[in-house]
Amino acid sequence: MNISRHPELLDRLAASYALGTLRGGARRRFERLAREQAPVRAAALVWQSRWSGLTELQELAQPSSHVWTRIHNMVDAEKAARTMEAARSGPQGLPADNRGWWHSLLVWRGAAAVGAIATVAAVAVGVQVHGALKASSGQQIATLQQQLQATPQIQYVAVLSDDKAAASMLVTFDPKNNQLVLQRVGGFQEGADKSLQLWALPPSGGPRSLGVLGQEKLLTLVAGESDVRQVPALAISLEPKGGVPSATGPTGPVLFKGELIQRTL
Amino acid sequence: MSTPDADSELMNLLDRIAMQDDTALKRLYERTSSRLFGLALRVVRNRDAAEDVLQESFLTIWRSAGNYRASLSPPMAWLGLIVRSRALDALRKRTSDRADLMNELDEDLAETLEGDSTNPMDATEASEQAFALHQCLTRLENKQREVVSLAYLRDLSHGELAEQLKLPLGTVKTWIRRGLEQLRACMARYA
Repeated sequence: MNISRHPELLDRLAASYALGTLRGGARRRFERLAREQAPVRAAALVWQSRWSGLTELQELAQPSSHVWTRIHNMVDAEKAARTMEAARSGPQGLPADNRGWWHSLLVWRGAAAVGAIATVAAVAVGVQVHGALKASSGQQIATLQQQLQATPQIQYVAVLSDDKAAASMLVTFDPKNNQLVLQRVGGFQEGADKSLQLWALPPSGGPRSLGVLGQEKLLTLVAGESDVRQVPALAISLEPKGGVPSATGPTGPVLFKGELIQRTL
Repeated sequence: MSTPDADSELMNLLDRIAMQDDTALKRLYERTSSRLFGLALRVVRNRDAAEDVLQESFLTIWRSAGNYRASLSPPMAWLGLIVRSRALDALRKRTSDRADLMNELDEDLAETLEGDSTNPMDATEASEQAFALHQCLTRLENKQREVVSLAYLRDLSHGELAEQLKLPLGTVKTWIRRGLEQLRACMARYA
């Protein structure tokens, strides 16, 4: 039977199907017809939409306030886990040339917005580097945070990420030894004729060079606390081999950037 | 009825949530949580369970807001379907965990059908399609409206409704059939 020629019957079956009261063999027959005939499928969709209105008509009720707190915590944990996942897999290719980006207010706003997540991610990535990280539960992050706080020589920390928010470089500042310690955590490797250069991005004035990076996985740069104090963010640009003078500012694309967080104990 | 402004605000929030903007999620929660919690409560009938459902639903919204536009649905209807789906999951799990609990709940349910006391509906923020449904539902007898609503919201068969409402199967079938016939005629006018 061509059910499309019986609109009354089709409408009744579609309404019962979408309500959920059409069951058993009748339901399976209707589903088969819907797969075969678009008008049947359409009738079912119309009634599914109509019944969905019932979800909008229920009385209001107030959930207790801890529900939002739980949602918020879980969303935070999920974001941190994703950042760590990105850190494991490394950057997916080079970001586009974005010279002059530090003039943009948006960058600073963005940096502030990811601050909280970056704090968690920095801690997690830092410990991962030492081979201790197995998973990313909130419990473990809390433990890791305690471990980091128990390591007194690290005073500033930054996770520099590419434009896809994949963490690529972990930077820590050790004031005792006047050292910036850089750890490559992504898979990025510059070409033999290029160098990566680290820049401080002070609140006013242009970027200030903190040094040129070698090819090693773990490397250190000499820096005084005055170089990093009150610097809100760091960036790494791709430059000709050997880098460029600080006064000229970055000439190549900025590959990684991130907020510099001062540990306040 | 909902205004186009209210809908476009929700749609804008869903777009931002798809971009992982958690301030938009908070705003969406403020705008919709009491409506969605009311729905969850109606399905699972227990505050703790309904709060779990609401939490699960917002995590689902956080992860799948990017799929919203393709659904071509009014935003509240899309959100409502997520909550109903999570609530039905919870209901099935609880039914299998605690068969005895259902018996207590059935007593409450049976009482709501006696006399004229039914669950009130609220169409103040409803989408156009929900507003039409509301108009048509108000023309049904209370008992018809209640069994049709419960069949949908709790995904119950004729047999399950009869059992939960302690009514003869034939009675439930008749109420639903008559309710459906009237609704179909009424909804056809709204196209």
